Amino acid sequence: MFRLQGSKVLAVEMTGDAVKAKNGSMVAYDGQMTFKKMSGGGEGLRGMVTRRLTGEQMTVMEVKGHGTCWFADRASEINLVGLQGDKLYVESSNLLATDAGLRTGTTFTGLRGASQGNGLFTTTVEGHGQAAIMSDGPAVVLRVSGQYPLTVDPGAYIAHQGNLRQSFQSGVTFRTFLGEGGGEAFQIRFEGDGLVYVQPSERNTIAGDV
Amino acid sequence: MALREVNSKMVEATVVPGQRLFSQRGAMLAYKGEVSFTPNIQGGQGGMMSMLGRRVAGEATPLMTVEGSGTVFFGHGGHHVQVITLTGDTLYVEADRLLAFEGTLQQGTMFMGSQGGVMGMVRGQVTGQGLFTTTLKGHGAVAVMAHGGVFEIPVTPQRPVHVDPQAYVAHHGDVRNKLSTALGWRDMVGRGSGEAFQLELSGNGMVYVQASEEKL
Repeated sequence: MFRLQGSKVLAVEMTGDAVKAKNGSMVAYDGQMTFKKMSGGGEGLRGMVTRRLTGEQMTVMEVKGHGTCWFADRASEINLVGLQGDKLYVESSNLLATDAGLRTGTTFTGLRGASQGNGLFTTTVEGHGQAAIMSDGPAVVLRVSGQYPLTVDPGAYIAHQGNLRQSFQSGVTFRTFLGEGGGEAFQIRFEGDGLVYVQPSERNTIAGDV
Repeated sequence: MALREVNSKMVEATVVPGQRLFSQRGAMLAYKGEVSFTPNIQGGQGGMMSMLGRRVAGEATPLMTVEGSGTVFFGHGGHHVQVITLTGDTLYVEADRLLAFEGTLQQGTMFMGSQGGVMGMVRGQVTGQGLFTTTLKGHGAVAVMAHGGVFEIPVTPQRPVHVDPQAYVAHHGDVRNKLSTALGWRDMVGRGSGEAFQLELSGNGMVYVQASEEKL
């Protein structure tokens, strides 16, 4: 059972089940716990190879036991996401923990990934359960519906879920080449039905420089 | 109560004549009233011997004495601040995490080896706390700094608590701590889970943990 303690600490009550969490993110626990590193994000040999090849590396540990375990990572804000059979797309660096009912994998993102400075692949989480994602500053959840598509700065995007199509938009004009760009040369556009998580801070991206 | 949290990163201290307050040097942000700040070469209370003790122990953070009447605001480096009130028990905290404390508290240094012998010394080294730690004892309030927010976990005899040494901030009460290792062959081949060392706190009291693995 995932629970937030304040906005920066995740408390997980465990009764013998296993939780996957970012390596080294445990800050405290009571009861009995064991920690085991899982290579390749705990997705078996295939996952290990894919993650190596795609550069979407994720060092995950499996936490198992009875009691309460507290997780936190460099004072990042934590958001809980409940999944009922749908798929969550998140950057591996922003994924803190997933519970036993969820599977993780990798997927190709295309040009969007490159503009975000996170590589061409992203992590997917699917199944029934809860996941905890991290953001630099409190994240906002924006709803995308048929009439209301959403455009996001690639550096501020952290995750999305639901039935969304994404496309890459560029606002590059001749001004950009003259060095007079507004710093918003690239955007990701989401269409369809779903939720997008945006953080109030921008990662360093190629797009931010032009 | 002389110390009060204004927001998560700033504390307000009320200074009245005759009551001293100690704070980390340079941590004053603003003040109202007639308040004087005198650097404290001794680095805290006690006489010459305590000063020497702290110097030797490496637990000598530059402190200043705050006296007069008025209100003073303290904050440092944008770190989160937590006010802990002591009622007769002892708080164990690293000297560089201390932002301010009331003069009614007795300051001391504790040798890590005195709690758990050689293992205590190893613990100090592993956690980066060094061989000594600062203790504050008595009745009064202490403002402690941490990276990210602080949360408290009660320690009871039936419920020992394990803490990541990097996330540990302070503890008070009748708590014994020891270093517990979960070193396996995985750690030896560089495949560790990053949780090989833990501080095990047992007894009766409270432990303060920060939401980050970064030291100050």
